[in-house]
Amino acid sequence: MGELEGKKHVQYIVSVEKKKDSFEALVIEHLRLNGAYWGLTTLDLLNEIEAVKPDEIVQWIMQCQDIGSGGFGGNVGHDPHLLYTLSAVQVLALLNRLDVLDIDKVSDYVAGLQNEDGSFSGDMWGEVDTRFSYIAICCLSLLGQLSKINVESAVNYIVSCKNLDGGFGSIPGGESHAGQIFCCVGTLAITGSLHHVDRDLLGWWLCERQCKDGGLNGRPEKLADVCYSWWVLSSLVMIDRVHWIDKEKLTRFILNCQDKENGGISDRPDNAVDVYHTYFGVAGLSLLEYPGIKPIDPAYALPVDVVNRIFFSK
Amino acid sequence: MLVALLFPAPQLSAAIHEVSRFAAPLSGTPLQTDLRESPLNVRALDGGGWFCRKWLGKFLSESKILKMEKDSSFSRGSEMSLLEQFEGILEGDKLIDEIGFLGPSQFASLDQDLSGSSLDQCTPIQLADVSLETNIAELNTVQYDKNFFWNRNNKLAISTDVLSHLYIAARHAYMYASRRYKASINLTLNKGAFCSASAQANFDHLLEDEILKHTKALLILSCNFSSAWNDRKLVLSRKHEMALFLEELRFSSLILSGAPKVESAWSQRRWVIKIVGDFLQDSPGIIREESDLVEKIAEKSKMNYRAWGHRCWLISCMNSDQVFHELAKSKKWTELHVADNCCFHYRRELMLNLLKEYHEASTGCNFDVCLLYKEELKWTELLIGRYIGREALWIHRRFLTQCWIKHFTTNQGAAAVTESEDLISSTTQTFIAKELKFARSFLNITDGFYDALDQAQYAASYILWTLKFALSQESMHEEILSELRDLKPLLLKTCAVNSLGWETML
Repeated sequence: MGELEGKKHVQYIVSVEKKKDSFEALVIEHLRLNGAYWGLTTLDLLNEIEAVKPDEIVQWIMQCQDIGSGGFGGNVGHDPHLLYTLSAVQVLALLNRLDVLDIDKVSDYVAGLQNEDGSFSGDMWGEVDTRFSYIAICCLSLLGQLSKINVESAVNYIVSCKNLDGGFGSIPGGESHAGQIFCCVGTLAITGSLHHVDRDLLGWWLCERQCKDGGLNGRPEKLADVCYSWWVLSSLVMIDRVHWIDKEKLTRFILNCQDKENGGISDRPDNAVDVYHTYFGVAGLSLLEYPGIKPIDPAYALPVDVVNRIFFSK
Repeated sequence: MLVALLFPAPQLSAAIHEVSRFAAPLSGTPLQTDLRESPLNVRALDGGGWFCRKWLGKFLSESKILKMEKDSSFSRGSEMSLLEQFEGILEGDKLIDEIGFLGPSQFASLDQDLSGSSLDQCTPIQLADVSLETNIAELNTVQYDKNFFWNRNNKLAISTDVLSHLYIAARHAYMYASRRYKASINLTLNKGAFCSASAQANFDHLLEDEILKHTKALLILSCNFSSAWNDRKLVLSRKHEMALFLEELRFSSLILSGAPKVESAWSQRRWVIKIVGDFLQDSPGIIREESDLVEKIAEKSKMNYRAWGHRCWLISCMNSDQVFHELAKSKKWTELHVADNCCFHYRRELMLNLLKEYHEASTGCNFDVCLLYKEELKWTELLIGRYIGREALWIHRRFLTQCWIKHFTTNQGAAAVTESEDLISSTTQTFIAKELKFARSFLNITDGFYDALDQAQYAASYILWTLKFALSQESMHEEILSELRDLKPLLLKTCAVNSLGWETML
């Protein structure tokens, strides 16, 4: 089995940041803040956060904030959305710079998106998804502002999205999907409501995601993909069933998805690498306790030392 | 040359053949290469990853070979001229149903493919300079540089050489119009308008047209640009014209035809439907059309979570007749796509909806929900026997077994299985005993083929899952337990991958 090419992954992430003019970079510029979260968290997990200049990043992030609403857009001048607001909070937490935020303003924006039934809209246009519930609750918890929302109805909404197979979908009646399951289980974990999960039933569904090649898929009948190493594994850790999968085979699968020459990790062996899969590969290896990688918190998706700093240093 | 680099000729023609089957019913013009294969089609942005698009990576790394960096020889003026040509084409051919991004050398082959076609609506010209604008206005026909655009038979191709320039021009034009529009709205809200109300309204209409025009161009180039989708919603909600709402459905279909997983486009449809449904009173028609659209898109975009999620969302707008209709309609499609777990999930949701209605009806229901589940069980059994090693089928059976035991069987103690009895018994024990027998028949593998091994694994998993999760403890009679003990070695041998989880159960 090959080793983790940590140094090369760091070089790869730093190099991606510099290619801004290509069409490929242009068509994803609307979610650059997500990209910042994936890239920077990877660097931190690899103990290499010093490879970037925090002041420049903080300044740019603050330019992405919508002054009127308090939410963050994916880039400067883009509309605010919960998706990017969480990334902003996570990156600032990572850089230990939450002090630059007007906590009330940001948390009011997030809390203001809760609906009557407990669900959350992603932005003012009203699309509802369990991803947004997770984002809102993770964000407010990191900011110490959970009291601004109705946590009980938020939890009830998540429970209403539970399927007979033990999994969760994006809305009530939505198909179980490992990504949505992470969001729902993460929400329940942060709010101390994991008793709503049938651990054996969900654990079974999640374990069946392991394919013959050792990798994990996100739904039945799909191919394995490195990103589910995170979504599935973190859920299994939260419900204490991670010992049900073959960790060694999964580790091998992730390591086989590395570009050993130029760095970066892809969705499947021999495919093209990207920052998104590089992050999820490294985060998955972190949950698998791979040596040399910082431990990551399965609910907050941040390094454990960052989470501890936020909750235990007050 | 770009194409040759990326797409060896045989692959290209295979991909074109593939698409012409699905996507070009009007003309047979093989414009858009296969979405799943083509690295050229930048709109084939696969959303299969999560929280973002998986294509992120595909493009980042393909940039190693596919150089689409901005060519600095283009001035802002020529960028804006390109955008005008592009928007002129979109304005002139409102029926465009397919758009592709192609390497320059591919343009010539497109014309060859069409030799003999008389449907030349447009006048291609060579781009001389920026003064071209006057010519366009005078001739009143859509003119464009044929090095960069190709438009025939409601198909549009754009050269990968100009994508960056077009994008930058479209983004600039859109953001400029958007800023002015929002400032104008604020001014009106604050009653600070310095000109007459009618002048203000004219100004707003002008900006609204600008925003719709530029966001259309921008979204074709970058379909996940959510601020552009949002500004379209803003304009539509202020104008509140039926024709515009319907046009929005058409536009989002165009985007989805090339990029079937774009979440913003699906979300845009729901936003429109919620408004249109309210004042059209024609929701049956809309539901049917939406359901058909999902089916069409699911045909070429397998296991598309966003598309099927949209169809599941529609159920909340249906009455029981429509639910029945959908259930009947999806049966044939499902039989042809037995590996698509999404369509089975859709059926499960339809069936649960009917079950709920059945339980909630105070005075008898006008349908036999028990029969419905019974027939689904028989149908699934048939499919499992016919299509060996399909996970989706076994998952569907788990659901049916779970529901059947919970809602349609009674616990009457141990029962012996007799050959003559119907497989689908209404006593829990007989039903379970028959199910075990059915699943066991797939466990003894005589050949080593993959499909048979998979089938054995799914069958074994089905047995364990059913006993653990679908059956209550009081139903676990000694005969079932002893059968399970007998099966243990076989089960452990069958399930290589998940054995760690299973061992804790046995």
